[in-house]
Amino acid sequence: MFCYQCEQTYRSDEGAGCAGAKGMCGKDATTADLQDILLYVCEGVGQYLHRARLLGATDIEADRFILFAFFTTLTNVNFNAAKFVEMIQQASQIRDRAKALYEDAARAAGKTPETLSGPAAFAPADTMAKLLAQASEAAVRKDAAILGEDAVGARALILYGLKGVCAYAHHARVLGEERDAIYATVEHALDMLAREERDVATLLDEALALGRANFLAMEALDAANTGAFGAPTPTSVRVTPIKGKAILVSGHDLKDLHAILEATKDKGINVYTHGEMLPAHSYPKLKAYPHLAGNYGGAWQDQQKEFAEFPGPIVMTSNCLIEPQPRYRGRIFTAGPVGWAGVRHIADENFAIVAQAAQALPGFTEDAPEHTITIGFGREAVLGVADKVIDAVKSGAIRHFFLVGGCDGAAPGRNYYTDFADEAPKDTLILTLGCGKYRFNKHDFGTIGGLPRLLDMGQCNDAYSALVVATKLAEAFGVGVNELPLSLIVSWFEQKAAAVLLTLLALGVRNVRIGPTLPAFLTPALVDVLVEKFGVQPVGDAKSDIAASLARAA
Amino acid sequence: MYKVSLLTRDGATIAFDAEPSDTLLDAAERASIYLPSSCREGGCGACRVSRESGDVELMAYSSVALSEDERMAGDILLCRAQPRSDLALRAPFDEAAVGFAPVPKRRATLVAIEPVGSGTLRLQLQYKDDPTFGRAAQFTAGQFIELTLPDGSSKRSYSLANAPNWDGTLELFIRLQPHGAFSDYLRDRAAIGDTLLVRGPQGQFTLDEASAAPRWFVVGGTGLAPALSMLRQMGEFADPRSCRLFFGVNKVDELFALDAIDSLKAALPQLVVTLCVWKPEKEWREFTGTPVEALAQALLTAPERPDIYVCGPPALIAAAEEAGRSAGVPHDRIFSEKFTAA
Repeated sequence: MFCYQCEQTYRSDEGAGCAGAKGMCGKDATTADLQDILLYVCEGVGQYLHRARLLGATDIEADRFILFAFFTTLTNVNFNAAKFVEMIQQASQIRDRAKALYEDAARAAGKTPETLSGPAAFAPADTMAKLLAQASEAAVRKDAAILGEDAVGARALILYGLKGVCAYAHHARVLGEERDAIYATVEHALDMLAREERDVATLLDEALALGRANFLAMEALDAANTGAFGAPTPTSVRVTPIKGKAILVSGHDLKDLHAILEATKDKGINVYTHGEMLPAHSYPKLKAYPHLAGNYGGAWQDQQKEFAEFPGPIVMTSNCLIEPQPRYRGRIFTAGPVGWAGVRHIADENFAIVAQAAQALPGFTEDAPEHTITIGFGREAVLGVADKVIDAVKSGAIRHFFLVGGCDGAAPGRNYYTDFADEAPKDTLILTLGCGKYRFNKHDFGTIGGLPRLLDMGQCNDAYSALVVATKLAEAFGVGVNELPLSLIVSWFEQKAAAVLLTLLALGVRNVRIGPTLPAFLTPALVDVLVEKFGVQPVGDAKSDIAASLARAA
Repeated sequence: MYKVSLLTRDGATIAFDAEPSDTLLDAAERASIYLPSSCREGGCGACRVSRESGDVELMAYSSVALSEDERMAGDILLCRAQPRSDLALRAPFDEAAVGFAPVPKRRATLVAIEPVGSGTLRLQLQYKDDPTFGRAAQFTAGQFIELTLPDGSSKRSYSLANAPNWDGTLELFIRLQPHGAFSDYLRDRAAIGDTLLVRGPQGQFTLDEASAAPRWFVVGGTGLAPALSMLRQMGEFADPRSCRLFFGVNKVDELFALDAIDSLKAALPQLVVTLCVWKPEKEWREFTGTPVEALAQALLTAPERPDIYVCGPPALIAAAEEAGRSAGVPHDRIFSEKFTAA
């Protein structure tokens, strides 16, 4: 096992990376090795699909499988080794199909099909022991001695960015939004990973291409969510429990939440959101369900305590799952790409059993004192008051915008984001998205120019909304995004954040501060490139960073 | 006061303090840690763990619960061991088997009782609604419950045969014993609608979910129950792992739950079942011999070493462990639960 895809990866003087029997996320070595093999076989699928596409032939089911397969390997998504054995066999069959597609297309075009090597020719073994023996062929750092550390780091940036793109694109796809250009880019990236490319500039160009594809994926996801459930509107959400039967829904998948709301309609069950599902309350077609009762708990890293105390079933619709503890293991359900061995998985979007579980469990026995927060400042809501915002900027009421958002995590250094939001001057406006906001979204920031000073734009999946707002404001002021009085203070944890960072870079957004640490897979030379070309910088001290941001804007 | 550290099978460390006059089980419970156990008298072996370092004094116990070989290898019974130094222990169960609240006590109604096979009864109980637990039957497949007779006169532990569920159903297979207190009740006085006290779930004979190895179940008589529970859950979860069941009885008419096994084959297409009859008194087309003999034969041609789950009388378990060891299955990949007649 070797994995360094997320922020919490094990770090020591010898280097960074989880390489023991279990990673920091709880993923065991068997599962980690099987995930590497699955992705390696997917690279082989990509080799064939990329070539087939150049000849005008495509296989959308194979593309969809790749999205799902990559999503399962994100941090805190799927820990079920048996599932990966099954998916490796599926991937192998899909690769055979992609090979036939390519070879038929080549012959039809009067060409002799290439005989491909590497992942295209890799034959997964039929027993677990033999399969695990093959893991070194698929490991993320294989051939590091030949390729060099910088190329390995750039390849990792592509691999992990690709995971984020696939996750976003999968989220969009389940709601019916697909973009062929995304599939083309994914296939191209897989083909590049399958090659022993060692030119760092070429690899970074590929990473930026992924960033552009991720913008498309986020746009598709935005269209999917707003198309299905309406545009988010400012909404007051109760964050304390109500007496009665209860279901908790976590993750990012609004379609699953909708299916759960339908399955529990008129059954006297209250549905609560958890973690990244909080923004669901702001979508008109979701908040129309009166039993979407409120939000419970905080960010994902607190789930083991919060889930244990929740008196009903819990559904984890997508990332981020931590090992289910004994106190709630029997009443947690997974859906979509998520999985844990020995935990019930709902593969068919039929949540009737969850409703049954809620009725069989005690629920909350009394009301807690009412407390609410306001959310729902998506792009339409913010741009709906653009005139007010622009006037406030011109009058000096709003001096600066800070986008303080992204992932949360358990590392102590993440208090930086709380400090940053709390210390931001009263004449600044804070935009936020992602679960990092749970560190400060129940604080009272007051108002500015008739607007709340804290505007919650949604999930990490809603980064598109923030980019649209920035672009539109820049247009309104007649400047570029980098000339706006806007600073991005991004907290990263896993691979969706890597994809968003690539998007920001691909769109030319400069001076992004990221933290609490830099990705372990970026070598010093790669960091230098990001600093030099894009002004990327690590977070430091909150007060100093605020002062520096305001000074740059001035 | 001594420090006790218990390492679970899945790598979690559970720590508590113990006085020299405590049993380790009592000391853990004082710290709100409820470790797997059953009889608490050294008779069942449900609380057996391995001692990595440190000293204990063992009070009287049954050799069925802890054999001389096991004791010599360092195993102890938590219900019988008093600390004489700081202790490092290793558990054969996952952290999930450890409770951090007392074992629930609930009431259940007897809703079905029927003979299935010679000398065996099938019982179905229904949990009553409860303000703390609701009406759900939440347990880990493979666990057991302790039943108390309606008059409170006797308690017995039985493995659950069904999978965890939300309608509160508990299914048990009970072999009737001559002059057994519980058997007498079931034979002579039990009536639909009776209320029984249920203490549970308990026990650590559960699936090692972290292992991706094939799962082979070797069971004798009503030792089928926990295997059936685990296999039913695998079926409900569409678990793709390879699995086999070796189910043995002495005579053909002692076989039971064959319809449930057939249903399992539908839910788990990869399941291979070997029915074993030791002394078939009439024509018998399947395996003649014990389930351990069938296991030993199958291991000869197994493409990879399975995890072996064994449930039945102590002699069956010892024989299965020997067969597994002979075929190169590591000791810690053989999971067992002994049961004694009640």
